[in-house]
Amino acid sequence: MADWRRLVRRHLSGLGLDSAEQEAVHTELSEHLQEAYEALLREGLPKHDATKRALTLAGDWQDLQRKILMAKKGRDFMQKRLHQLWIPGFLTMTLSTVFLMALQKQRFQPRMVSWSGPGNVLFCIPWLMSLPVFGAIGAYLSSRAGGSRWTVLLASVFPAPALTAAFLLMFPIDLIVEWIIGRQVDFSLVATAILRDGIGWILVPGAALLAGGSLAQFLLSRRLGSRSVAGN
Amino acid sequence: MIGAGIKRGTAELAVLSILEEGALHGYEMARRIEEQTKGALRFTLAALYPMLYRMEKRGWIRGSWETSANGRRRRCYRLTAEGKKKLSPIRQEWAELFHALRRLTKVSHG
Repeated sequence: MADWRRLVRRHLSGLGLDSAEQEAVHTELSEHLQEAYEALLREGLPKHDATKRALTLAGDWQDLQRKILMAKKGRDFMQKRLHQLWIPGFLTMTLSTVFLMALQKQRFQPRMVSWSGPGNVLFCIPWLMSLPVFGAIGAYLSSRAGGSRWTVLLASVFPAPALTAAFLLMFPIDLIVEWIIGRQVDFSLVATAILRDGIGWILVPGAALLAGGSLAQFLLSRRLGSRSVAGN
Repeated sequence: MIGAGIKRGTAELAVLSILEEGALHGYEMARRIEEQTKGALRFTLAALYPMLYRMEKRGWIRGSWETSANGRRRRCYRLTAEGKKKLSPIRQEWAELFHALRRLTKVSHG
C-alpha cells in the first residue's frame, strides 16, 4: 500500500505556501487519494491496480502544484514573480552572454591569471567590467516591478546560479561520456577544471554582477527614501 | 464525452449544486458528481482542489476540518450565503446557454 501522505508531500514539496497551509493541502489531497484507493479495493481491484488507478487522479504533479499555488495566492502572484525575477534575471543573462560573444567575435583574449595551485584561471577583463552594469540593469528592473531586496539581488546575479546549474549538469554528463568511450577519467583533473572554471566563470562574474546589483539597489532605496521624506 | 472547455465552465456549477445538498469533503463531492452525471464529469485533483480553493477565496464555500468516526481528518466544504446567492444566476446562465444551443442545433438539422 502506498504511503499517500509521503507521496503527496514529496510531489508537492515546492508549493511555496506557509507551512501550516502547505500541511493542510498535503493532508487534504492525501486523504482524497487514500479514499479513492480504498474505494477501488472495495470494488475488487488488486492493491497494485488500485494504487495505479488512484494515482491517475493526481495526473501531472507539476501542473497540480502550479494550479494550487495560483488558486491560493492568485494569478497576480505568478505575474509578479515573472516581472520581479524571471524577466530581469533572463535579461541580465542574455545581455551578459551576448556581450561575451561579441567580445569573442572581436577576438578579445581572456587574461590568464596563474597561481601556484592547480592551474590557470581565465578572466575576460572587459566582460567582467561590464557585468556590474548588467547586474544593475537586472536590479533596476526587478526593483521597478516591486521586487523585495532579496529578489532584486537574485535578479542581478541570475546568470551565476544558472551557470552553476549548467556546470553541475555538464560534468556528470562528461564523466558518463568518458566512461562510455572507455577513456580513463582523472578525477583530480576534473576537480581542477571545476575549481578553475567555477572561479573564472561563476564566482568572480557573480561577485561583479552582485556589486552592480547591490549598488543599484542601494541607490534606488535611497531615492525612494528621499522621495518619501519629501512626501511627508 | 463532454470537451474540456465546457467541463471547466460547468465544474463550478456542479460543485455549488452538489454542496446545496449538504456539506461534503473533496473525495465525496467528486464521487457524487461523477455518479450523478453518469461519468460525464470526472474530477482529477488538479481540476477539483484549485477550484475549491478559488471558490473559498471568493467566499462562495467555506471549508472546515472534521474528524470522522475512524479518526480521519477531512476538510468539509459548505455552501455559504454568498454561494447560495451565486448559484441561481449561474444556473440561469447555463440554462440559457443550453437552450440556445438546442435551438441552434435544431435549426442546423432542420
